[in-house]
Amino acid sequence: MSDHVDGPRSIGDPPADLTDLFAFTSPENPAHTVLAACVFPSAGEDAIFSNIIDYSIAVRRVTVAGVGNAAKFEPAGEEVRFSFRFETLKRDAAGKVIQRGICKLPGDRELSLTVNNEKGSWMPEGDVRVFAGLRSDPFYLAWNAAELKKLPNLLQHTNVLCIVVEFDTLRVLDPMKGSLFGAIAETVPPQQRSLIAPPVPRIDWIGRPEQTNIRLNNPALSGIDDLRDLWNQQMPFAIPKELQPLFLKRLKGSFADWDMRDGKADWTPEALEANAKVFLDDFLLFDVTKPITDQSHLEIEKSTLNGRPYQTGGGRTVDANCIDILLTWLVNRDREFLQGGATGATKPGMKIFPYFATPNAELQTVADSVELAAAPDEVWSLIGQFGGAWHPLTAKVSLTGTGIGQLRTIQTLDGQEIVERLEAIDDAKRFFRYTNVAGMAVSHYTGTLEVKPKSSGCVADWRAQFLAVNKTDRAVKVMVSTLFKTGLESLKLRFGVAK
Amino acid sequence: MTAFVELDHSGPSATDGEIAAINLESARRGAWARFARDARLPGAAEAIVDQERLAAQFLGDLDSLDRLEGLATQFARVDDSSRAALVEAEVASAVHRFDDARSHLARAAHMGGLRDTIERHLLTIDQASGVKLDAVLAARRRIATASGQHEDLVPLAALLADLERFAEADAVYQQAFYSYDDVSPFPLAWVCFQLGMLWGELVPVPDPHLAALWYRRAIAYLPGYVKARVHLAEIYTSQKQNGDAELLLLPALSSRDPEVRWRLADVLIAQERFEEAETQLATARLGFDELLERHLLAFADHAAEFYAASGNDYRRALELALANVANRPTRRAIKQAHAIALNVTPSV
Repeated sequence: MSDHVDGPRSIGDPPADLTDLFAFTSPENPAHTVLAACVFPSAGEDAIFSNIIDYSIAVRRVTVAGVGNAAKFEPAGEEVRFSFRFETLKRDAAGKVIQRGICKLPGDRELSLTVNNEKGSWMPEGDVRVFAGLRSDPFYLAWNAAELKKLPNLLQHTNVLCIVVEFDTLRVLDPMKGSLFGAIAETVPPQQRSLIAPPVPRIDWIGRPEQTNIRLNNPALSGIDDLRDLWNQQMPFAIPKELQPLFLKRLKGSFADWDMRDGKADWTPEALEANAKVFLDDFLLFDVTKPITDQSHLEIEKSTLNGRPYQTGGGRTVDANCIDILLTWLVNRDREFLQGGATGATKPGMKIFPYFATPNAELQTVADSVELAAAPDEVWSLIGQFGGAWHPLTAKVSLTGTGIGQLRTIQTLDGQEIVERLEAIDDAKRFFRYTNVAGMAVSHYTGTLEVKPKSSGCVADWRAQFLAVNKTDRAVKVMVSTLFKTGLESLKLRFGVAK
Repeated sequence: MTAFVELDHSGPSATDGEIAAINLESARRGAWARFARDARLPGAAEAIVDQERLAAQFLGDLDSLDRLEGLATQFARVDDSSRAALVEAEVASAVHRFDDARSHLARAAHMGGLRDTIERHLLTIDQASGVKLDAVLAARRRIATASGQHEDLVPLAALLADLERFAEADAVYQQAFYSYDDVSPFPLAWVCFQLGMLWGELVPVPDPHLAALWYRRAIAYLPGYVKARVHLAEIYTSQKQNGDAELLLLPALSSRDPEVRWRLADVLIAQERFEEAETQLATARLGFDELLERHLLAFADHAAEFYAASGNDYRRALELALANVANRPTRRAIKQAHAIALNVTPSV
């Protein structure tokens, strides 16, 4: 995943674990640039920032120092830095927990903020606005990266904590001196903390998405050392010379593996080495004088490696399909676009500040299973029929349409009508997935029914996730779990219980 | 819960304990939601094991153990790789079913599970059950020396304490404490608690002042640390600081850890509030019995301590202490059984 859970150190305290970094032109004001970073993979509704971590986004001017197989992006020494710090929790007059923080801006300015205040905080001069809080995770990963197999979005319905800073591009970045920039984000613990060991300079940092989990720690490479924590300890914009050969070797090995995932070699050894060297300099490139779109991510690097001037502002928007863009480049050098198993995140980005979609409510879950003394195919032949009326609470089932998208209307014994849609089915794996269309007090209802072999029999597994609507979570959970239990118990009577 | 004392500045700093506890709960629920969506998602089941164990260990959320057993069952039904066997081993270990844990690890090895992971887990089980301790000590020293990491130093120190090499244990714990370079308060609170135990309960001549200092530090790192509150309250009660002890225990009542009720009852008795104490004792007894019914081996030693003290049932205490010895014949378990046996009438 982008930078989610990218090393043992960052797993210890999830609000220190950076997941993503973004750089794009403000959808509200084209004269403004937006930089944003996210932390805390799969954050629940109450997630909050650590009070001792410095959450920073730093930007340096970059020059193109070489093209083609000599491609090189050279960062300047000077940087523009936005640093967020958060306080311990306070209670407001109503007893509600609140967290406040500040953002230190370039030029020794500071801006106070309250976490989860959607309107954000403005500088009095009106040139900078900041936000910090919980949002829907904008990232989506729809590949099994080890096997390059399509999957549904692995991060569906998850949240992250975001920091967002929007600023007047001319005043803050002064693009007249050069319009190409590199950005990184980092989480920095307090320094001089350990009384025995040297201080840890940072817990995590991120430049381009997937430097750690896909490029350095390519999941298809077995028997390799995990370099992610070592990488995360290094100084952004300045990987030490003595460690560069180690990381470069790993990147080249990883890229050679990615190139052959489709069985075709699209990269010459020279081009592959040049590509690895560009990615070794890990910062998110963006040009504030050119258009940054959902498709422009990595275009600066790719054009430069291809020996021609870049056309876009690169960067990374909230909705950029960065995994598919990256994998396409690594696997077939843009010969054929590789589309994963999902085409978007749980929610698309917003056109208004803070640009990241509102957080997802916590889905309620009901899961039940039963071990049966029958062959999996025997059980599946009964319950794997989407239009089957095997459930004891069902009076009648009628079908509309065929295949994926097919609707079933279930009339229950007590006279209710439930409409469900078939979303996926795999008879070989004895699995189907469906959603609720009408008839239940829920939204975002997704159910799965699956039969798996187990010893000499099988396991029937039924699970659902949903949001309750107009009823309490508990009431809907009881209703759904009763439905599941009644159905699964009836299978015991029909097929017998596994010993 | 709010910190009972302010954290002094002589130790490493960490994320505020209230924030860390909220984020643990947040991450725990997030992991369960991912597991429910697809039980085979890489790392989902393993993350739940880590988070539920933290919730049980630090926040006194004893329902965690039930949830873990449910997780192991569900995961084994849908995953037929070594991952499920490893999760089953972790869960069995968490509830002190060490023989079961060994069987699951053997199965994981047979299914191609990572050798390092399995060997580390076996080491933990050997240490917890008090077997092959010479070999465990050699391995612990080797690992701790190689990494110098907090997570490797703490189990070495714990083993040294089990072997009654207290000065050495103290030194290694302190090394672990002062070399900590991460931001999560859980590992720091754990070391502080262990040092409290070392000086308050394990050494031949306990030093309650030093033990209280470490327990207070543990609570400063993590105000919701139920066991640290219980142990500190015990010291306060012994020093007749009953008001302080009560203040420590009241916020922990929501944890449902019966030990909180038991220690609160002791405080109430010391204040001659006998009726209230009786209510707390009855609730504690019920709590222990419920836990023993579900996870006998996990709570046998704690319950034995309860029944040998305010629970006032030495026969029950001895039964439980012997069950604990049979499961994990450590020096502490044997000492406990011996001490209880001395108080049981000869007819037993």
